[in-house]
Amino acid sequence: MSVTVRIPLPLRTLTGGLDTVQVAGENIAQVIDNLNALYPGMADRLYRGGDELNRFVLIFVNNEDIRSLAGQQTAVEDGDVIAILPLVAGGR
Amino acid sequence: MDNSDRYSRQVIFPGIGKDGQEKLARSTVVVIGCGALGTVSATALARAGVGRLRIIDRDFIEYHNLQRQILFDEEDVKQQIPKAIAAERHLSAINSTIVVEGEVADVNHRNIERLSEGADLIVDGLDNLETRYLINDVSLKRDVPWIYGAAVSSYGMMMAVIPGRTPCLRCLFPSLPPAGQGGTCDTAGVVNAAPMAIGALQAAEAVKVLLGVEPMGLISLDVWSGQFNRLDVDSRPSPDCPACHGLYEFLDARFGVRTTSLCGQNAVQIMGAADARLSFDEMAPRLRPSGQVAYNQFILRFSVDTYEMVIFPDGRTIVKGTNDESIARGLYAKYIGI
Repeated sequence: MSVTVRIPLPLRTLTGGLDTVQVAGENIAQVIDNLNALYPGMADRLYRGGDELNRFVLIFVNNEDIRSLAGQQTAVEDGDVIAILPLVAGGR
Repeated sequence: MDNSDRYSRQVIFPGIGKDGQEKLARSTVVVIGCGALGTVSATALARAGVGRLRIIDRDFIEYHNLQRQILFDEEDVKQQIPKAIAAERHLSAINSTIVVEGEVADVNHRNIERLSEGADLIVDGLDNLETRYLINDVSLKRDVPWIYGAAVSSYGMMMAVIPGRTPCLRCLFPSLPPAGQGGTCDTAGVVNAAPMAIGALQAAEAVKVLLGVEPMGLISLDVWSGQFNRLDVDSRPSPDCPACHGLYEFLDARFGVRTTSLCGQNAVQIMGAADARLSFDEMAPRLRPSGQVAYNQFILRFSVDTYEMVIFPDGRTIVKGTNDESIARGLYAKYIGI
């Protein structure tokens, strides 16, 4: 399966500025593994040790929160759009 | 001049109507932070006829604010007026039929309950996450809805929190990110349309929530790449959210940034809310446009204006050149980000 991953600004230093990338995988965990293989450092920023996602990041598959699906085991299909959404701080 | 048709265009709008307009006139909204987001939401709410607006901000207006903080002008910069006071003057000039109170204050766990007294709703116009989590605690403790909004670079997020009915900020994001990860308006820059769009959506959500209309959910947008999303988050409060279960850890000052004035050194030490693993290689290019940067693997020194910030890889920072903890926290929020 090939999915589109939307990269939030804080992580674009790892993708050379790209805001969307194509990644293979059968579920979210695999997508993150493959994302990390393409852009090393990604897993460090998304996981808080082990394979537990950082608690200031949400991941959506086609705009649906993976926590209301099957979490990191949520299956993905060709053409799905994965959004990574870290909490945003600015505003002044 | 006859003032009576001031709200005619929104009274015609079926979602508001005459009853809705009267309800807005009886409402009190507190806007915390009056920068890019706060100037937009406060302007929209004043024009919409919210009866009482309290605008809270700790800063003065600088030229680089004028690019996006739509309520202020060059005269405000020249006169060195605090943002809260300038906002009060400008909003009163826009709408003399409402009450506008500007309050110059650094919102923290000691004063937020007093500053938000009487609010029917709180609008977030802040530049840091710690104070947003404080608003979240106050909102849940007092059963007052609030509208989260944030913007940096070309993107932003927005969500209404209604205690007991929607998830709160901690339901969605239980922990603060470590310092230095998100970028701030001062290091990542900001396209003015991003906070303007978010501030406008916050004002719309504020009006809707005051009138009992269902909010939109979590909105994320990027005005540069053209991504606009309404995201489906779990619509119920999280069963293991401390704040939704009466544990107000930010209000009780158990979490959050801790500052200590270093006696006799004209310096303040800041400990981040969470352990950071800062990459100085990533941080240095972000800071260079704003001041002088020098670093090795142990320490990064950043000089800006009359201050020097000494930053350690775990996020601990010593701000030299001031004893004022609120100035130090402001610099930390501005350049390191929390």
